[in-house]
Amino acid sequence: MQLLTLIVLAPLAGFAVNGLLGTRFGGERVGKRFVSVVGCALPAAAFLLAVKCFADLVAGAGAPLAEVAYTWTIIAGNPFEIALYFDRLSAVMVLIVTGVGTLIHIYSIGYMKDDASYARFFAYLNLFLFFMLLLVLGKSLLVLFVGWEGVGLASYLLIGFWFEDPVNARAGKKAFIVNRIGDAGFLLGMFVLFQGLGTLDMVTINAAFANGPNPAVSASLAGLLLFIGATGKSAQIPLHIWLPDAMAGPTPVSALIHAATMVTAGVYLVARMSGLYLQAPEASAVITVIGMATAFFAATVAVAQTDIKKTLAYSTVSQLGFMFVALGVGAYGVAVFHVFTHAFFKACLFLGAGSVIHALSGEQDIRKMGGLARRIPVTFATFAIATAAIAGIPPLAGFFSKDEILWFAFASGRGGSPLLWAVGAATAFMTAFYMFRLLWLVFLGSSRMEPEAEHHVHESPKSMTGVLVVLAVLSAFGGFISVPHFLEPMLPLPAVVPELEHYERTLLVVSVVIALAGLAGAAWVFGRGTARAERVRARFAGLHRLLAGKYFIDELYDALIARPLWWISERVFLGIGDRMLLDGSLNGLARLAQRGAGALSRVQSGNLQRYVFFVAIGTIACLAWGFRHG
Amino acid sequence: MNNAEMLLFVSMAMFSIGLLGVIVRRNVLVMLMCMELMLNAVNLSLVTMSQQTGTTIGAVLVFLIFVVAAAEIAIAIPIVLLLVRRKRTLDLDAYTDLKG
Amino acid sequence: MIESVLGNLDTVLLWLFALSALVGGALMLVLRHPMQVAMALISTMVFLGGIYGLLGVHFIAAFQVLIYVGAVMVFMVYVIMLLDVRDPSLRGRYSRMLVPGIAAALALLAVLAFAVLHGGLAPAHASASYTLQQFSVAFLTEYWLYFELTSVLLVAAVVAALAVIKETGTDHEQR
Repeated sequence: MQLLTLIVLAPLAGFAVNGLLGTRFGGERVGKRFVSVVGCALPAAAFLLAVKCFADLVAGAGAPLAEVAYTWTIIAGNPFEIALYFDRLSAVMVLIVTGVGTLIHIYSIGYMKDDASYARFFAYLNLFLFFMLLLVLGKSLLVLFVGWEGVGLASYLLIGFWFEDPVNARAGKKAFIVNRIGDAGFLLGMFVLFQGLGTLDMVTINAAFANGPNPAVSASLAGLLLFIGATGKSAQIPLHIWLPDAMAGPTPVSALIHAATMVTAGVYLVARMSGLYLQAPEASAVITVIGMATAFFAATVAVAQTDIKKTLAYSTVSQLGFMFVALGVGAYGVAVFHVFTHAFFKACLFLGAGSVIHALSGEQDIRKMGGLARRIPVTFATFAIATAAIAGIPPLAGFFSKDEILWFAFASGRGGSPLLWAVGAATAFMTAFYMFRLLWLVFLGSSRMEPEAEHHVHESPKSMTGVLVVLAVLSAFGGFISVPHFLEPMLPLPAVVPELEHYERTLLVVSVVIALAGLAGAAWVFGRGTARAERVRARFAGLHRLLAGKYFIDELYDALIARPLWWISERVFLGIGDRMLLDGSLNGLARLAQRGAGALSRVQSGNLQRYVFFVAIGTIACLAWGFRHG
Repeated sequence: MNNAEMLLFVSMAMFSIGLLGVIVRRNVLVMLMCMELMLNAVNLSLVTMSQQTGTTIGAVLVFLIFVVAAAEIAIAIPIVLLLVRRKRTLDLDAYTDLKG
Repeated sequence: MIESVLGNLDTVLLWLFALSALVGGALMLVLRHPMQVAMALISTMVFLGGIYGLLGVHFIAAFQVLIYVGAVMVFMVYVIMLLDVRDPSLRGRYSRMLVPGIAAALALLAVLAFAVLHGGLAPAHASASYTLQQFSVAFLTEYWLYFELTSVLLVAAVVAALAVIKETGTDHEQR
């Protein structure tokens, strides 16, 4: 029974049906109800199939399921197949993708109810699920890459969903193009691996590095190149710029793609290639540094943001940085654990934000919110639980995963250090601080809403709040599912430096203290209206401007890269190449023909005697030719 | 050089002179008369050769040329008259309507 | 000397007439007034008629004078007298193609002379001439097609002349 193929194809069928029947392209033959049912039932079916496969996996004591769906070609003895592979890591990822994905589909029924392109939305969401499943179930880097590119496409389509507004279209383009830059690194990594090992099958590649470095290919080089792809997809420095702009898409998209699933593809890639990275200490060091830097800087920027979704976007970037730190120090299972918990609470946060925006008829500026707790209680409760989870307050999910990351950052034998832990701890403090800031400014305190919006505040429909409740419950209790332990046979945890082993209990307590300190700090600054916040801001005006402007990195890129490229394109290629050379040569040819014709037409002078002269010349020439033999 | 050769040379010379006259003279009537000179030169050569070979074909052709020359002049002169009426001059340089 | 001249009177006259014809032709190039040019042409044609007579083809000589001089040149003279004397072409005789024309004429002469000199002439026939009767018989039997074609040509000329007259007539009426 080709279960894995069915899992992958179910959402694709949903895309085909909804896309061909429900959209304006297809003639709008079916109504919204049909689209909703098809659009949600197929991902739910995929989820159930995934549960079944998971049961089979557990029953088989973790023996991976493999299926070959199709053999593309065989080049020089190397088969290129569409092969699907279900082992412990894939199981976790598939369950997250299908589970959270289905929930978000159900949420979208309520959120996108009044949208004109309802069917198109569900079609694109299903398309995204198809590609994401292909990504996590692929056995070779090639199939993964197909899924990789596909989710990039789906992301572009969905970010620019309301494409009539050019801002949205531009955001979609930015996401796609920045991803492409990362993909160049990914492709180079694939080439290096293929050239050295002759195969792109990930299981084979990991096995090739099982006993130490492989002389055929430099593990660090390949690892670094693949990581460049991961920076693009998972929004790490320097390619993180697309994620905040991607908030231009509808909120379910932000929740599904840019929080729970697509952006974790980079983490999945590194975790999957753990065999390679275990033999690549240089690449792992780079991953650690970039991950920590990203986490820290994104957290600083999130403190000063005024848009609810942008705050959450920077928070995502920061949490992804944490995951990469875990990957860098060798704790692959812990990183996946954080992906697991992050999917729950981040999706809950985003969907909660969507609920708030829905309640306020489109308002996203937190300066114009406040006092919503009593008006939309369910949203408030779920949002609060998810905030506590991300801040790391025990016993919620985020506490377990983040604490593990910080512990391994401190004590891992593969690159952990107290300095790393210190920066991580500071970031954790800031995470708690800005998340509770968000909670206070949006839900608590006195209302700063526009009177029009305040009048229409209403709780979201059951389809939306139901999903929020489910995700909140998962955020609360998901941490008790010991994912690292489940993944241990495949992704062993790194050895801890012996001298530091006894700090484990201490660091646990410190983590809790940091989370509570963040809560307290936010309450102190933002608790009593915005007066204290304004004073703090006035004191650090310059710093605030820097943070609010996200370190002006977009402007820097624009000045350093975009503008020179544009100049070259305009002046050199267009001005010289196209206009002068190509058009010039073509126009020159035309002008030459014209001038030639003009010159030749002077023969037709209209002068009769000139014509007779030419006749005479012709006659003489013919006679001479005729008499040339004497 | 016997007579026949001489007559042929005369015929060739008259033909060349006629051609030259067509090309160089500006008056349209003079040009027409030079064309007549060319025809006469041809007649001379035909008669000469007919006498040389003893066949009659040369003389027949001469007769045909007579007819053709007469018909041609009968048409050419009225055409010239119409042209002159339009352009009001006999100068060939003015007849450049076929230019371009 | 007189005896030799009188003895070869035919040849002398022949050469004389030929030379005169050539001189008449050359004069056509240099004379200014069209009437003078017409007179030169008439003289050339008459001399040619003389040559034809000396060659023995008297009928052709007769037709030469009758048709060419009597019809064609008379028509020409009428037209010359009809048209304006004060014409710019009388001040400047030659067109712009003078030098190229001279070159072309000389080239043509050279080519033709070369052809005749190297081609060789057919030897003179013993019984050189043919009589008018023989010519007429030949014209109407062997070359009858060309005879009929000339009549067609003349009809065409008549029609063309009528067409021109009609145009001339309409032009007059429009005025």
